[in-house]
Amino acid sequence: MAEFLEDPSVLTKEKLKSELLANDVPLPSGEHKKDVYVQLYLKNLTVQNKRKAPPADTFSSDEEITPVLSNRSRSGKKATKKTDKVRKEEVDVFSLTDEDLKVQLLKYGINPGPIVASTRKLYEKRLQKLLDQPPSETTPPEPETAVPETVTLKADGNQNGNTNSVEDQYSDKEEVAEPEPVPIASKPVRSRGKTPVTTRTSSRHRSKLVEETTQQADSVDGRDVLKDLFPNEPSTPTGIIATCRRPIHGAAGRPVRPMDLWPEESLFQQSVYTTTKSSFTDSRSAPPPVRPPARRSFSIWLKLLVFLTLVGSLFYIFQNVTPEQVNSCRVFVQDNVVNPLLSAMGVVDQEESAGSK
Amino acid sequence: MSTTSQKHRDFVAEPMGDKPVTALSGIGEVLGKKLEEQGFDKAFVVLGQFLLLRKDRELFTEWLKDTSGANARQAASCSQCLTEWCDAFL
Repeated sequence: MAEFLEDPSVLTKEKLKSELLANDVPLPSGEHKKDVYVQLYLKNLTVQNKRKAPPADTFSSDEEITPVLSNRSRSGKKATKKTDKVRKEEVDVFSLTDEDLKVQLLKYGINPGPIVASTRKLYEKRLQKLLDQPPSETTPPEPETAVPETVTLKADGNQNGNTNSVEDQYSDKEEVAEPEPVPIASKPVRSRGKTPVTTRTSSRHRSKLVEETTQQADSVDGRDVLKDLFPNEPSTPTGIIATCRRPIHGAAGRPVRPMDLWPEESLFQQSVYTTTKSSFTDSRSAPPPVRPPARRSFSIWLKLLVFLTLVGSLFYIFQNVTPEQVNSCRVFVQDNVVNPLLSAMGVVDQEESAGSK
Repeated sequence: MSTTSQKHRDFVAEPMGDKPVTALSGIGEVLGKKLEEQGFDKAFVVLGQFLLLRKDRELFTEWLKDTSGANARQAASCSQCLTEWCDAFL
């Protein structure tokens, strides 16, 4: 049994035509103005709507109530124009304005960024996906936000033996509670966008009441526990808290801070640096040291070796330079350095040095 | 270190400046050309799109797949690359 709108002009022309055809209303041939279809709709279908509602004589009291209430429950609310209008707008994602699209997405718990030319298509797709899920589960999406109305709905639902409202009530609370602990514990937007959908689908698949009560309890407890764990966290309106991650040195190619790696060796390193060529070591530390620490120590040993060699050679020189060698060295130096200088001054010195030799 | 490529590491190591879109991890010549046709000729423009989507990796992956024809792996790689870059420099 289908319920019919009071104001069919909220539907698109295509929708109107399909509705009319579904109810065996003959359509005028060819394309006509939307108004034509609206009138047809009103004439044929809305009238039927009225016809179904009033009869009290023939039906018993239970039956009288049932069709009316089942209409209401299926539409999700009292059949006011506004809600019907809203409901139909949700179906046609592509005709929504940017603002409306944003509002719809917010209802599902997604916090969308600016809906601009390049982002619009994505959000439309997302909303479409979300809309496709609930109708298959025979639950309209409105109960998420309208908490007081679900209370009235519950009464109706129970009469019908419809447990969906009970589920919705639980899923309401899940939606409210779950997004808050999840972002605080882990990354924000992505998981938040996911949880409402996944909790809804998961609740459908498991056994209804038992699982939901445990879920609800868990989510509520989770929230309290997290509040205890993080008492200093400021409460944000969206429940998302993001802290800037400090760059991890040594990861993703960032230069490693020597202090972090080798605390005891750093001092040793510095002594090595002062004695050997410091520029060489600087050039080695500047490029991102992706090399493992083993090679680092190897290079240290190498420098140490060089240093020792230098020291050793100096030592050898000082020890082995005995007096006779010193003299011969001195003479050698004199011949090569002093003579050229003196030759400029005069011939006398040359003769003297030749004699002494 | 996780399974990141050298390209990824190179990109995340420093501010992107004026790097071309092919410098992004996962974006090669073919994809780069497609992105350039769409107007995303520099890496920072793609960053702009990423930020517009509020740094949502899923949405960005989807967008990249739609816009450039990237496969899931490439899009995920690019997405991760940008996420890490933002963590480091933004």
